[in-house]
Amino acid sequence: MRILHISDTHVGPRSSFNQLSLFTIIKEIREEEFDVVIHTGDLTQNGTVEEYEKAMNIFSSVKTPVVFMPGNHDSRAGGLDLFERMVGPCNGVTDIGDAIIIHVNSAFEDGNEGRVGMIKFNMIRDALKRYSNKPIKVLAMHHHIIPVPSSGRERNILQNAGDILDLIIKDDVDLVLSGHRHYPNLYQIENTVFLNAGTSSGTKTHWGDVNSRNIIEFNGNEQRIITRRIGRQDETQVLPRKDKRIYSHFGKRILRAIHMSNTHVSDTSAFLEVQFRNAMRKIVQLEPDIIIHCGGVVREGIPLNYDMADRLFSDSNIPIIFSPAGRDINYLGYHLFEQHLGPFEQEFSDGEVLFLGLYSPQYDSSSGVIGTRERKALKDRLASVEERTKIVFFHHNVLPIPHSREKGLLEDSGDVLRALVDSDVDMVLTGTSSHPHAARVNETIIVNAGSLSSPYQRSLFGNSFNLIDIYEGAIAISEVNSLWGHRRLLGIWDRRRAPAPFGVNPPAYRTSS
Amino acid sequence: MLKRNSMGKIMDEPIRKMVTKRLIGVISGTTIQEGVRRMLEFDIGFLVITSGKDVVGFMTHTDIKRAIADGRSMDDPVDTIMTREPRAVDINTSVREALEIMSKNRYKRLLVTENEEVAGIITRWDIEDIDKQRLETFISRE
Repeated sequence: MRILHISDTHVGPRSSFNQLSLFTIIKEIREEEFDVVIHTGDLTQNGTVEEYEKAMNIFSSVKTPVVFMPGNHDSRAGGLDLFERMVGPCNGVTDIGDAIIIHVNSAFEDGNEGRVGMIKFNMIRDALKRYSNKPIKVLAMHHHIIPVPSSGRERNILQNAGDILDLIIKDDVDLVLSGHRHYPNLYQIENTVFLNAGTSSGTKTHWGDVNSRNIIEFNGNEQRIITRRIGRQDETQVLPRKDKRIYSHFGKRILRAIHMSNTHVSDTSAFLEVQFRNAMRKIVQLEPDIIIHCGGVVREGIPLNYDMADRLFSDSNIPIIFSPAGRDINYLGYHLFEQHLGPFEQEFSDGEVLFLGLYSPQYDSSSGVIGTRERKALKDRLASVEERTKIVFFHHNVLPIPHSREKGLLEDSGDVLRALVDSDVDMVLTGTSSHPHAARVNETIIVNAGSLSSPYQRSLFGNSFNLIDIYEGAIAISEVNSLWGHRRLLGIWDRRRAPAPFGVNPPAYRTSS
Repeated sequence: MLKRNSMGKIMDEPIRKMVTKRLIGVISGTTIQEGVRRMLEFDIGFLVITSGKDVVGFMTHTDIKRAIADGRSMDDPVDTIMTREPRAVDINTSVREALEIMSKNRYKRLLVTENEEVAGIITRWDIEDIDKQRLETFISRE
């Protein structure tokens, strides 16, 4: 099975459309053997009749089946009905031998944001149910599900990216294709390959990049991903399709950590003191080496709440480190956090494992940011770390969270996630959106904690905290219910080292010489 | 917790999305005591016994109860009490069929395979777990 993945062709005026690039691709489709071509949206620049006619005229010479889906630009003039009339169905399922390709429209009229609502979500779920026994399952949509680096500030990620991510992982989708960000990027999350395309013939490229397309080859148990840029050497990565299922070799336990978030300590109904006290009692029984609190310590940053937090957290003798959320620094919290809980960026090391806290909130805002210079400093710091296991923690999420509208993502989550994954960080702990989740992105496990003691939470499992056990050979993470102490496994992963990072080609900075 | 009855809807779904795809095991030759310790450490009722890359058996609460009743030493290897061929179903089996097999045979759990390799495990509680059934989005209707 060989798939050509193109995207964001932006057929339209010369200012947006590089015709030569698209002609090169059309020639390649005619000369090379592909089972299918998948175009992940923004076929045109403005979605006008003339642009659709021009685009379909260019693709008319292609004999290979092409799966098209609309992007935000295609829905600009006359909406998606025009796309259906001029190009083809906005949503659909294509059965090609061993593979099933499900495509959905993630755009809506006159908006740049993306979402896959209930009806389309159920369509994907039903298609995955119907074709459960297909060896290759591919899902394609215009908007990205995982933050993309090197393409500016994170925006327009699928509003319900977390729900889609959950569906994809549970239903063992092999490959997810998207576009929109005009920058090629590749992650393997659990068993699924998430591949973003650059712009195939648009003029708006990022970070000195050029037009590109992806080629995906399924060979037995592995996927070979090739990013082909105009006038550059191909960039290839080979990824195994199946992951390990049975974990027998744990070795000695090196460290046990408790990962919590959103305690929302306050003298109001927004703080559940019984849940808090039961959870702390259970934590003492579990005998952890360290507690990591990923923010949302107090309901709002006022003296009354911080005094209460002081009393409640001083009951245990287990070392605890904090990272602030927006609500912790609001009002007078900016001063109170440091007075009561310590510096904004806290650390813990036992010589083997390092926990490194980052400051991510912004005053009077729920959104977070790490920042350009801070990311660089972080990379430098991580490069010089001596501990074998590197864990970074902060409040805002870098991976979408199920059952939430995506709003807690860091503004620079694309670049932060790439930096953490490429710096061989073993684990990233976050604590926003009050829904626990854990998934491995390449070799980095990204873990979000639910709310420990606030009724404003989203998990049907109830209030909870995470139990993280680091062994010589594996890392196991469970969610523990705050009230009753029962637990369930969020995942186990081998402690493997990372392969060469994606993006090994040097950036194409143009120099004056 | 949820008022509507979602069980009817999921009966024809493949078990794939409810399967626990990470299994905890011990290597063949491990003592019963070590095996039980691992089950307690992870709060689980089922342990896979492996030898190299092969699965050679499984140990459950029932096997442990039988071992105690038989007066076995806890230093015996798990291999002496494990179940060698547990009932397995394919990952594409429907929830209805999996439940029927469990009910008829009074099994609490079934081993799950895909292409004849171990893919995970499914328990009655997995099927009852509303969170595992819930693959939904509420972001908007469209």
